[in-house]
Order: sequence, then structure tokens, then C-alpha cells
Amino acid sequence: MIKKILVANRGEIAIRVMRSCREMGIESVAVFSEADRTSMHVRYADEALFIGPSPSAESYLVIDKIIDAAKKSGADAIHPGYGFLSENAEFSDRCKKEGIIFIGPSSHAINTMGDKITARKKMQTASVPVVPGTTKPISDLKEAVETVKEVGLPVMIKASAGGGGKGMRLVEKEEDIVTSVNAAKSEAMASFGNDEVYVEKYINSPHHIEFQVLCDNHGNGIHLFERECSVQRRHQKIVEETPSPIMTDEVREEMGRHAVAAAMAVNYSGAGTIEFIVDDELNYYFLEMNTRLQVEHPITERVVGVDLVKEQIKIANNQVLELKQEDLKQNGHAIEVRIYAEDPDNNFMPNPGIIKHITEPLGLGVRHDGYVYEGYEIPMHYDPMISKLIVWAPQREEAIKRMKRALYAYKITGIKTSIPFLNKIMDVPDFKKGRYNTHFIQDNKEYLDAKVNPSQKVKDVAAITAFVDYLQRLDKNNTANTNCSGTSNWKEFGRKKSISRL
Amino acid sequence: MSYQIKINDEISDVKILSREGSIIEIAIDDRKYNVDIIEVEKGVYSILLDNTSFNIELTQNGLKKYDVNTLYNSFDIEIIDAETRYINSRKSGEDEDADFISTPMPGKIVKILVEEGDIVKGGETVVVVSAMKMESEYKVVKDRRIKQVLVKEGDNIDGNQPLILLEDPEE
Repeated sequence: MIKKILVANRGEIAIRVMRSCREMGIESVAVFSEADRTSMHVRYADEALFIGPSPSAESYLVIDKIIDAAKKSGADAIHPGYGFLSENAEFSDRCKKEGIIFIGPSSHAINTMGDKITARKKMQTASVPVVPGTTKPISDLKEAVETVKEVGLPVMIKASAGGGGKGMRLVEKEEDIVTSVNAAKSEAMASFGNDEVYVEKYINSPHHIEFQVLCDNHGNGIHLFERECSVQRRHQKIVEETPSPIMTDEVREEMGRHAVAAAMAVNYSGAGTIEFIVDDELNYYFLEMNTRLQVEHPITERVVGVDLVKEQIKIANNQVLELKQEDLKQNGHAIEVRIYAEDPDNNFMPNPGIIKHITEPLGLGVRHDGYVYEGYEIPMHYDPMISKLIVWAPQREEAIKRMKRALYAYKITGIKTSIPFLNKIMDVPDFKKGRYNTHFIQDNKEYLDAKVNPSQKVKDVAAITAFVDYLQRLDKNNTANTNCSGTSNWKEFGRKKSISRL
Repeated sequence: MSYQIKINDEISDVKILSREGSIIEIAIDDRKYNVDIIEVEKGVYSILLDNTSFNIELTQNGLKKYDVNTLYNSFDIEIIDAETRYINSRKSGEDEDADFISTPMPGKIVKILVEEGDIVKGGETVVVVSAMKMESEYKVVKDRRIKQVLVKEGDNIDGNQPLILLEDPEE
């Protein structure tokens, strides 16, 4: 049985994992870089080990240093969180070799799902629908033209080793096929050192819907329903919800079955996510599998009532899944928003800095997974996400109102955050109606870019506050520097207070 | 002493008419307000105006400058006293802040695209800075000559730190 877990991560996810450890009576070990000595995960953990300089390539991403820290601390398992080494097959293997339990899938599962063409083939043999297209790399250009015609325009040319939108080309006209294939190939070569490309049908106005799965080491697999993740900016999810407002019971049941089949096809173990691309008619196609815990996992936890990190740990302990598919159901509605340290008024420029003041939202149905505190300096070396706000309510409409209420109470000063932008999303009619796809942000630009014009009164109140604060500081300085008897109320107050104390 | 206050780009006269405890009567240009204003937490003020409750957050940004957040808006506010007015009157006509390139946030220098003495055209990128996994390009606004490069690639920098000094190519 696992007694001590090293969490090879930082920020909110490190704390999230340690919370479950604490509830299970498992000791937690943090690792930290130079920039993270004062980070909350170091303070929250039972033990903390230094692993090197601030850039993640010299600390959080160095397998040797993580393994070394695990050995020094006597941890019997490593939880990778998300990002960093979480989907690194070599790391999974190395843990195994060193006799440390890796809380995640085998290198085989990571590798198979990591290569898009291999994953496509695997899914087709498991009868999981994939986007129509080729299962093998395009070898010559003549063949490419024929394949594209077969699949039907428009198509997407994608890099086999790709990700993050690199090496991707949309082709809408027949005469563009050759140039697009060549361009995708050279971009793929430059970005990934591998020029293999393949063809996929382009899905217009797609929804991004994913299914959470859990598989144990004894051949059992279940799904914990879907998450709707179509609100994205620059391919980055910013709002997620479950259930998806467009889902029907029949399609959910069928997609869930396919999600489990997809995971089983690679002998998956642990928590994973099957991403589907879905069109307006609810035709769905396998997109990829994320072989780790997702950022947006809390909405599933809230609606299904399962602690996913605990399940991961139990599976790593070789226990048999206690949850049965027929016992699981979705209760109510959950929404998560991601709060980033970035300036929405300035093209979402990253905005690291010192948190001067923070008030976190509380109240019925609100969960806040974060890691910053007053006086903490958000380092510039890592991801700008500072927290996740998750709300739950029996109905979707109430959940949206609750999210607005929670965002209203969420105050962070010292840095700029995406909170005002998220607040606007909750007001967009298409979002309220649940009618949106991955083009949501660009389709609703006029709503989202609209400036709320302040009334003269609000402007004046802001000015009065700044002016009063300025005078107050001026006053303090004068009191400190001179001993003349002033007429200030604040000085008066201070004097009375010190007398009453005597 | 008379004060002015600059809200974003608008300048108004501001004057405290009377003050009793936390109750202040104040005039901004010809608009008079009677407000109850208290600092409830560091940098957070509670204001009652005509029974409406406002929460205003302040972050000091220089000696006389503030970032002020209300519920839906944020403002750059500057207190203009006699000293500031004097300084402003002396430098009027000059081009402000075009003498050096700096970034609004801390980060790391990824690439410097110019050398001392180079002439660059308006809109050309001179330096690339990364912060939180995102790279941003910084450009010159108009034609300039690079006077001095104060940083090198790989350097960690603070917000508002001068990185590259610029001068008029005619000089």
C-alpha cells in the first residue's frame, strides 16, 4: 500500500493532489524550484525537497532530479499532476525501473495515444468512430489529391506528431491541396522533426466534448460522463461545464461506451480522458486521449460525486474499482472557469507580479482550487493559470447565476486577471442558451470586447478613493516628519486612541 | 493647496469641502458629493454614496499614481499637485516615454534584434520578451536610432525597466 506520495508538480494541482493524500492518511512530498520556495504547495506538503533552478527544463522536467527526490524522501509513489512529466512515457518507465509506483498509465498507453496515426488505427480496430480520413501517412502528392477527394472537401492536413495547432492546414479548394500538403510537411519537420502528415475531414462549427474514464489493473473500466469544453481561446479551454447542454441520453450512453472501449484498447490504467469532436447533429469522432488527470476534472467530481485523485491512488495500489457503471449518475450541473494572470484589456498579455490582496469567493455550491495568497509573487517562469473556480447548482441556469455571484466576490489586486472577461462570458446570450461551439469567442467578439462604459458617478467615486488615499498617506508622512499640531482627523484619532490605551 | 486629478486621460479639479470622521464632502469640477469612505482592508475602500455601497480596490503605482478597480472597470488615476504641474509644464512638447523600450511586466529577454547605432523604422521589432510561456514582441513607434542596449539575451527583467535606449536618428 502507498504510504507516501511525491507530487512532481507545482501550483494548484499539486495542492489538489495533496488534499486527497491528507484525507487518505498518506504523507505528501513536494518538490520545488528556486522560484517556488514560497509557493503554497511547499507549505502545504509534509515534506519538501529542492530540485533546482527556476526554469522548468532545469527542475520540474528533469526526470533524474524527481527520481532522486523520491528516493531521498522515501516516497513509494509519484503523482505527476498535469503538464510537466505527466504524459512522458520515459518517466513512467523510469519509475517502474526504480521500483516507484507511477500514478498514471504505462508507457505503452502513453506512446500509443501520443502518436496520432497509431491512435487512429487503434481506435478503428476498437470500432470507435474517428474523423473520416487516412490512417497512414501521405507518401506522395498524387495519392494525396485522390485521398482528399475521397474524404471530401473541406479537409484538415495534420502532422502525425503534432499538437498545439502547429503543422495543421485547412484545405477548402482542390487547387490548394498540393501547396497545403507541402506547407504542412515542412512546418511539421521544423516543429517536431518528423514530416509525416495525414488527412482528416474538417468538421465545421465543432463542439469539443470529452469523457472521463477510470480503468483498473484488473480489466474493469467505467466512464464518468462528459465535459463540454468548447469555450476556448487560442486552443486553450477557459470555461468547462457538465452535463453538456447539447447532449442527449442516447448519445451520452453510446459515447460513454466508446470512450471505455478506447481506453481498453490500450490496456489503460488510471484516470484518463477521451476527447471527441462533435458536430451540430451530434455526430462524434475520436480526437485524442489525454493520459492524465485534466485541469477541468473537478466539475466531474462535483456532479458524479467521486474524488478522482483518490481513485487514481487506489488504482495505483492495484485495488479493484469499486465504482460500477450502473451506480453512477450525473447530479445537477457544474461549471468551471480558469483564472489566468493576464490582462484582458491588453490582448491577454501575461501579468505576473505580487498579489497585494485576495478575497476568495465562498458560499453554497462554490469550490476554489488555487494556490496564491496575499504577498505571494506569481513567478514568470510557469503557466499563467492561478486558480479554478467551480460552482454547482441543481440546474444549469442557477449554476450560471451562481458563477456570476462567485466572480463578483472574487477580488485580486496587484495583478490583472481574466475575471472580468469570464464574467462577460456568463452574460453572452449564446452561452446562456447553451448554444455554442469552439468558435464561441470569435463569434461573440462584440459582446466580449464591449466596454462597460462607466457612469460619471462611478468614475468620480474611483477618483475620490484615490484622492482620499493619497491625502491619508501624505498626512502620515507629515506626522512622522514634523511635530506641529495639525488639524487632521486621522492624527486626532491616533492621539485619542493612544490616550485611551493608557 | 489645489489639486487636480487625472482619470484615464481626463483632468478634473478636485477639492475637499469639509470632512468629519469618515464623512467627506468633496467637489470634482462642479459635481459635489457627500461620501462615507473607510479603508476596510489594506488597499480596499468601502464607500457609501446616496446609500449605494461601493467596494473600490487600489493599487499604488508610483508616488502619485493608482490603478483603481471598481466592479466593472479599472482606471489609471494620477494625483496632480503643484509639483507635478510644474514638472509637466517643463517637459511639454517633448515626446514622453519614447526614449526607451520597456515592458509592463517582469519577464526574460528571448531575443534582441538590434545593436547599438542601428537605425530602425517605426513598427520594427527590437526585442522579444517571454513571460509565462508567452512571447511578446516590442516595437519602436517611429524611426529611431538605438542609443544603447542595456540587457542581453537570457536576462531576467523587471516590469518598467529600461531595456533599450532610443534617440532621434537626426541628432
